[in-house]
Amino acid sequence: MSLDDVLILNAVSKAYGGRASMIEKAFGRRPKGLQAVREVSFTIRKGEVMGLVGESGCGKSTIARMAAGLLAPTGGEIGRNAAMREQMIFQDPFSSLNPRWRVRDIVAEPIRTHRLRPKKAIDERVAELLRQVGLSPEDGAKFPQAFSGGQRQRISIARALAGEPDFLILDEPTSALDVSVQAQILDLLRGFQAELHLTSLFITHNLPVVRLMADRIGVVYLGELVELAPTETIFHRPRHPYTRLLIDAAPDLDATDRSLHPIPGDLPDPSDPPSGCVFRTRCPFANERCAAERPELRTVETGQVRCHYDLDLSQRAAA
Amino acid sequence: MSEPVLKVRDLSVVLERNGRDFPVLDGVTFDIAPGEVLGLVGESGAGKSMTGIAIIDLLVPPLRRTSGTIALSGERLDQLSAKRMRRVRGKRIGFVFQDPMTSLNPVLSIGRQLTDTMRRHLPLTRGEARERAIAWLTRVGLANPPRVFAAAPHELSGGQRQRIVIALALCAEPDLLIADEPTTALDVSVQAHMLTLLRELHEETGTAMMLITHDLGVIAKMADRVAVFYAGRVIETAPTGRLIGAPLHPYTAGLMQATPAPDADGAMRVRAIPGAMPGIGALPPGCAFHPRCERAQAICREERPPLADAGGHDAACYFPLVEEVVS
Amino acid sequence: MRGLAEAFRGRPGPIVAATLIVLLVVYAFVLPLVTADPFSMSGMSILDAFSPPIWMDGGQATMPFGADDQGRNLITAMAYGLRTSIMVGAISVVIGLVIGGALGLVAGFVGGRTDAIIMRLADVQLAYPALLLAMVIDGIATAILGRGRSNEMAIAIVIVSIGIAFWVQYARTIRSSVMVERDQDYVAAARVTGRSNTAILIQHILPNVMAPVLVIATINLGIAIITEATLSFLGIGIPPTYPSLGSLIRNGNNFLQSGEWWISVFPCLLLVALVVAVNVLGDHLRDHFNPKIRGRT
Ligand SMILES: Nc1ncnc2c1ncn2[C@@H]1O[C@H](COP(=O)(O)OP(=O)(O)OP(=O)(O)O)[C@@H](O)[C@H]1O
Ligand SMILES: Nc1ncnc2c1ncn2[C@@H]1O[C@H](COP(=O)(O)OP(=O)(O)OP(=O)(O)O)[C@@H](O)[C@H]1O
Ligand SMILES: [Mg+2]
Ligand SMILES: [Mg+2]
Repeated sequence: MSLDDVLILNAVSKAYGGRASMIEKAFGRRPKGLQAVREVSFTIRKGEVMGLVGESGCGKSTIARMAAGLLAPTGGEIGRNAAMREQMIFQDPFSSLNPRWRVRDIVAEPIRTHRLRPKKAIDERVAELLRQVGLSPEDGAKFPQAFSGGQRQRISIARALAGEPDFLILDEPTSALDVSVQAQILDLLRGFQAELHLTSLFITHNLPVVRLMADRIGVVYLGELVELAPTETIFHRPRHPYTRLLIDAAPDLDATDRSLHPIPGDLPDPSDPPSGCVFRTRCPFANERCAAERPELRTVETGQVRCHYDLDLSQRAAA
Repeated sequence: MSEPVLKVRDLSVVLERNGRDFPVLDGVTFDIAPGEVLGLVGESGAGKSMTGIAIIDLLVPPLRRTSGTIALSGERLDQLSAKRMRRVRGKRIGFVFQDPMTSLNPVLSIGRQLTDTMRRHLPLTRGEARERAIAWLTRVGLANPPRVFAAAPHELSGGQRQRIVIALALCAEPDLLIADEPTTALDVSVQAHMLTLLRELHEETGTAMMLITHDLGVIAKMADRVAVFYAGRVIETAPTGRLIGAPLHPYTAGLMQATPAPDADGAMRVRAIPGAMPGIGALPPGCAFHPRCERAQAICREERPPLADAGGHDAACYFPLVEEVVS
Repeated sequence: MRGLAEAFRGRPGPIVAATLIVLLVVYAFVLPLVTADPFSMSGMSILDAFSPPIWMDGGQATMPFGADDQGRNLITAMAYGLRTSIMVGAISVVIGLVIGGALGLVAGFVGGRTDAIIMRLADVQLAYPALLLAMVIDGIATAILGRGRSNEMAIAIVIVSIGIAFWVQYARTIRSSVMVERDQDYVAAARVTGRSNTAILIQHILPNVMAPVLVIATINLGIAIITEATLSFLGIGIPPTYPSLGSLIRNGNNFLQSGEWWISVFPCLLLVALVVAVNVLGDHLRDHFNPKIRGRT
């Protein structure tokens, strides 16, 4: 682990519900678990924002929770500095703040836990943080219920900044907000990013948002990391067919071209993934090899891709 | 021009709190032409859903309609008895809600819900209803319709449920479909499927549609015309291309800039509108948007701008952005 | 506390119940301060034995509810008895709450084998009625400590028996709330921040699981008081030489046949009034805080 590496995931896997029941044990059967994350590897370097995108249920939150140390992987290993301070911002602005705590205590918690300020300076620091996220110090005396979803996300951000984290994990921080409030939160986060050079993992299913926020992007499909590359490479020269289709699926603001580009087919049952390449059931380029052989994660130029072929996907596929 | 499918004039709704009335909708006016898709867009709390609910007369106290006429194909809905209104709902106006679970009965099979709905509104025998239900399940793109027919809602995925809600809303062949954020809870991929489905069905049946969303991308792809809502008022309406290409109201422009998108040289940009929309009972005098508006002048703080009629592209603003006409 | 005023607005039943409880508590705790203990030698006068209530022939103004066989003024005796009953009920509820609360917190938070053991224990206990259980515990304590025990010891045993008999309900309720709360994101946020499990459990989760348990505690207060009265009535709880509503009723019961009905009927009515008031209040609080009936936010 080099000095600049904040977090290393090495072939990390997570299976849910793998414990055998009494009956299964009696019959010597292995339980059918759900492989939520399979052999995911990446490294987050100091000062960078790494993005993760993918459809609902592909395992993004599971990866985030393992990165945060909230969940133990069932395979592979996670390397992190033991003394590292982490913070996390969650999607649901309603469940992520303790309803029985006053805002000032919520924001002060990381400061007190890590003894980041002398006792007397804590109030001052909390007031400063509240101002920085666009709230007023008087708001500190209120309970979270008094705030809207957007304001609650601001409180979450204040709490995260209060911990002066070496590593910040954001799991869909704006997915529950409308466009206008989302823009305010993204603005705020970008401001802090520029100012504090935070190292972070930014998770979302919204491609324009991750393009705005991340330096590098990992694309996840059915628990596998299928592509990983610098942000502009992902958008200009994607190498995995899934990345291409995902980019095309999001409706842009162009009202002259009204075509829609849904990804063909349905998401397979995650407890029964396809053989070989997980994406082959929906891939326009799939052939027998894809069904038979699981592609390796190959390094290509600045990125990595899990596909047998070198496809030119820089243009949107003709519908 | 033929008679609009839906004609809403001066619709106002108030919220009663401690004996006082606070405006929730204020003078909402718009038309939907036959076969047209009208998009309603605006921030959370702007009154989009409330407009849909007021049209189908499902307001419950403390909410109350205080003025306005609503006409469906020329028939005044606001004058109908509660009993006649019940027949309009479901039969002549179909509704798709954001959360598919609220429109599905958790204990009845999908097939039962579809056939019940159809037989309530259309003269069909049990067998005919069943046949049509299976046909609808096929039409909304569900694999293995007979299995889905027998399934309970909880056995299906979110995307599958949303397809069924769309089938339920359309199976009685309504004149108008109101879709309230039909894709907001879904991820990009399922959203694209759902929008494709809505578009196909719209093209097939020619049903006029009112599409509620806060996503301008959805508007750009789906709507023929757009009404922008702010604090319970319509502040701009225009054909989609003109609205997106050259918005007149600073709020509309602000909403567009708040949507992260690449600009001309490919760099991503996002620009937030400062401040927040005023809540119910906290409306400022004059233009409701003036506290957040860079262009605001003295008059904006004093007088409320009317929705100026400027040939199909109207904005309620004293200092609209200049329209750089493309066509 | 913020919701408390709102919880009563426009509800006459609970308001009457709450007022009655306050009055009874004042009665039970103030009167004994200014009167002699009717269960001590100085507090009874044998001359007044069987004095009837004030409105009957021979009734005395100083004894509005009459006197018992030992000449104890019933209005004072009942205040002493009520005081014991309320204290036994309240302390036993607190004991049950502490035991059940701690076990429920641990079971819900730790899960796994610990949870399984605690909950099986609860299942076993639930197979026996609380009254029976209290009798058994009382019996065991008596067997160990011997018969010649003091009043204080007897009371302590009753309190503990009732407390233990009721822990299961608290444990189950807390456990299920904890299982909901521990998966909330605010708990995850505290974990990521580096808080210890104990800190998370006490500072974050506990305040969020208390409301439903406090409601149950109110309802159980009524049951605990009845249980104490029943035990005392059966002669295995508080000795007849010590005032409690149960022992008063038991004593009065001996004279029901001979016409001195007031000795048992008034303590009985007092017990009913207290328990009904507590239950009305408990039911109301339960409905008020029930998330299924009312939104949580
Ligand atoms: N505690 C759990 N027990 C069993 N399965 C789980 C659990 N949590 C998640 N899963 C499953 O693991 C898979 C990945 O879930 P995860 O929440 O990581 O997805 P996600 O990418 O974050 O999705 P979303 O965009 O909906 O948040 C899903 O199939 C999900 O159903
Ligand atoms: N039952 C109600 N009682 C009181 N206020 C209500 C009620 N329903 C809605 N409102 C208020 O009416 C206003 C308009 O709400 P509406 O649901 O129409 O907003 P919307 O534009 O659909 O927003 P969203 O994008 O969040 O769905 C909001 O300020 C909302 O808080
Ligand atoms: Mg997630
Ligand atoms: Mg709405």
